[in-house]
Amino acid sequence: MSTPQPAMLVDTADSVERQTAPAEPTLDRVAGLARMRARRARRSPTVRPARRPRILMTTEGTYPHAMGGVSSWCDLLIGGLPEFDWQILPIRAGDRSHSAIFQLPPHAKVVGQIELWSEQLPRRRWMVRADHHSRESLPANLVRSLMGWEGSYDGLLDALVWCRRRPQAVRRAFRGAGAWEAFLGALEEVLAETHPDAGPAPQLDAVEAARLYQTIYWIARAAAVPTPQTDLLHVTAAGWAVIPALVHKQLFGTDMLLTEHGVYVREAYLAAARSASSQGERFLSSRLARGLSRAAYTAADSVAPVTEANAAWERGLGVDPEKIRVIQNGIDAPASYTDPPGNLKVVSVGRIDPLKDVQTMLRVAVEVHRRVPGARFEYWGPPTKGQEAYARACEELARRLGAEECFRFMGSTRDPHGVVRDADVVLMTSISEGLPMSILEAMAQARPVVATAVGGVPEVLRGCGIVPPPGDVHAIATGVATLLTNPKLAAHLGQRGFSRVHRVYTQKACLDGYRDLLGKLAGVEMAA
Amino acid sequence: MAGGLSQMDSTGHQYAAGVIEARLGRGAQDVLEAAVVLEAWGGVRAGRALSLGSRVVPPKPPRWTPGRLTTEEPGRRDGILSEAIALIMAILAVASWAGPLSRQVGTSALEHAIVIGLPLTLALQWAIRSRYLSRRSGLACLAHDRLALGAVAVLGIEGPLMLLHPYGPLAGMFVAIWVGGTVLARRGWALPYGLLLVAAVVGLEARLPAYPLLEVLTGVVLVAGVVAVRTGEEHSNEPAGRVGRALWAGAIGAALGGLLVGDPSLGWGVHGAFPALALLPSVLGSFWGGYHLWKFYDAVPRGLQGVTLTQANQRNRQGAAMRIFVGALLRLVGMTVVLSGAVILISQWTAGTNRVSLFVGFGCVALVTLLVNVLESLAYARWALFAAVASIATELIMSNLVLTHAPVPGTALIAGTLVGILVALPPLLRLLVRPGRVLATSLWIQ
Repeated sequence: MSTPQPAMLVDTADSVERQTAPAEPTLDRVAGLARMRARRARRSPTVRPARRPRILMTTEGTYPHAMGGVSSWCDLLIGGLPEFDWQILPIRAGDRSHSAIFQLPPHAKVVGQIELWSEQLPRRRWMVRADHHSRESLPANLVRSLMGWEGSYDGLLDALVWCRRRPQAVRRAFRGAGAWEAFLGALEEVLAETHPDAGPAPQLDAVEAARLYQTIYWIARAAAVPTPQTDLLHVTAAGWAVIPALVHKQLFGTDMLLTEHGVYVREAYLAAARSASSQGERFLSSRLARGLSRAAYTAADSVAPVTEANAAWERGLGVDPEKIRVIQNGIDAPASYTDPPGNLKVVSVGRIDPLKDVQTMLRVAVEVHRRVPGARFEYWGPPTKGQEAYARACEELARRLGAEECFRFMGSTRDPHGVVRDADVVLMTSISEGLPMSILEAMAQARPVVATAVGGVPEVLRGCGIVPPPGDVHAIATGVATLLTNPKLAAHLGQRGFSRVHRVYTQKACLDGYRDLLGKLAGVEMAA
Repeated sequence: MAGGLSQMDSTGHQYAAGVIEARLGRGAQDVLEAAVVLEAWGGVRAGRALSLGSRVVPPKPPRWTPGRLTTEEPGRRDGILSEAIALIMAILAVASWAGPLSRQVGTSALEHAIVIGLPLTLALQWAIRSRYLSRRSGLACLAHDRLALGAVAVLGIEGPLMLLHPYGPLAGMFVAIWVGGTVLARRGWALPYGLLLVAAVVGLEARLPAYPLLEVLTGVVLVAGVVAVRTGEEHSNEPAGRVGRALWAGAIGAALGGLLVGDPSLGWGVHGAFPALALLPSVLGSFWGGYHLWKFYDAVPRGLQGVTLTQANQRNRQGAAMRIFVGALLRLVGMTVVLSGAVILISQWTAGTNRVSLFVGFGCVALVTLLVNVLESLAYARWALFAAVASIATELIMSNLVLTHAPVPGTALIAGTLVGILVALPPLLRLLVRPGRVLATSLWIQ
């Protein structure tokens, strides 16, 4: 049998079903095709396809189902680049609320959905003969390739592609008697690894192992979901969102762009460090995030962090510097601004989330109120889904600190610009950020900003804000009090921020950067 | 920021290790955690923090602490006593209907209605429980699908039954009353439901016309069911179970219902109250055993806390899974035996039966139901259905081909259930004896 031509494999298979049918070429052959495509692409880097380029964007708990900075960025990008056909594949927790918060433009559509932790099984393809091929080594292979300190990229791809080819067999593979036993053996191997950078692994118990087994099962299930034909993969986080893209890239050789807003693995480690989980759970969750990020960095043809601070992390985590191209977020700033109202109001806009360190903000509010008695703090934004307990803890802390007089949780707002305009100072106390849109919005309204020195914040606020260390209540409170009691300085910093946004962080620059990069990766030249 | 950097320069990784220790209350797990902590709380730049490498990672493993457990029980278990009382009232009431109903509608119509109604009821109860009522927000899930369910109930079940004159309408009313009772019990209205059934007994004994009385009762139960669903729980995002799994569960329920009515020697509706009354001990035993099984979801992971990886797949006859299962089994058998003795003792005053074989038969039905139930809840629906179908097939063969004139009532039922037990028990024991495997491959991957 002759080897099928790449064009036949990629361009003439119209349906998703066809792409995932069991009669596909073997993995080795497909990998060979991918390499062949890559060689051809190097020989002729710009190929102009007859149709509009299609981009498959994978999201994780964000667009189009949830509000937040990443979702706003997705909305901006998709709305601002109508020259591409956008295919959205969201990954989300399986629940009943399927309604999208964002309205998609005509050139974008949701092409499927990956539901995690749901009871639903992969959709049965009645016309395809049932595959009774079982592979009890699947969980063991996944745990070795994902959780090991070095891991195995090829082993991971092999396991994930197997899942895509046999979606009906994944559950059977995990429920088999030998699968659990093999998994435990592989996990013990991972725990016994020695590496100078890794430190000794903690001891795990059977419950922690079973929980990991369940998580690995959902990784396999995410890999089994079919992806449509596309010209470029755009992954919006180096975590779960990369799983379908990894498989697609391996099968069809499609190029992949990774955009990181926060550094996924860094945020996972932060969340684990702050959680009250056992050592074992912390170890497993951070190792898993590391495994997924490592795979995303290896697979990505280009990595586009939103700030130089993220790029530094990515280089430190082993991403080839040649692959990295920083494209900063941008904002459609107004042409003019109004003066601060002088109402001693301090505003913060963002989700209520441990990464935002709202509890430090509460302490800052109390300290500032002590120094500037008329000062009032408003926190605009809902709790992150799953962080309702943290939100309740924050409210409880506000009561304990006696902060009700000066601090209020305001809930969601549909007018973040208006909220910021009505403030004298904008405050952010996060312990992890990429390039926060809320700071750009404050600068666009010429409001002075006090924000902790994390991620891209020092870079953005250079010369136009106060940047105290994260968690330093005294330093943050001093910054806020200084601006409240010195309106001239506050106005000056606000104006500098306003002009900096117009100079550096424009929506046009952001969209031009992506237009250029996406066009190159998709094999077309785009006019700016 | 600047302070952090200068101190890093002056004292190097010792300072870094101190910052980590102060922030985490322990050493770093690996270089990444060290870098993350130093950047987030120590004011150290990412590149610098990452370059510290293994010097900030302690060489010894942390002291071991077992994992914390946050399991959630799938569903409500409040008001168990009232539910049990209501169950007794319901069985006694239905048993008391048999005499007056057979007098008014004829024994043949009543027998046919029960033979059709009981399997259908069990099928619907199993399916509804699988898809909706076994969930924490079961009633909210049910409310979400109310229109589709209403259409299925009217067009797929009640409509066709109405065409089967004269017993079809009676069967339809039985189905509505009994299935409605399941929903009312889930809402916590089991006692009012039981009282409704008792009121119907009083009406029948007072020689009120049977059909209008049952029509009124059906109407009241259905209205109460709708109110229960609408007022039950606030809107929830919890999804309902799989349709496919609910269909499997329904088929299992139907097979178990068929098992109850497949042996003509039991004489449903012919011999007055006795078969229904003989059900009481096994149903209550089953209820108690089933209630004990509810602990499964919590007790199995709890029992595995602190169990090392090398022991996580070992056989353990005293493990939590086996303990819960054997406990449920003993409760079922114990209560069935004790109550059966009591019912036999008082049979001369209740116009009931003193045929021991009937009690044994119904006890075996309860046992096979329990086994099949555990298999189904661990998502081995095919095996569970196979066991149930093997039971009913054996029963039908025995009653129609082998024991056409059985001297002892319930012999075919006993034979069928024994086959079901033999089919279901060995794989179940093989699974439950390894609690680690039960948790990982069955409880948490459904």
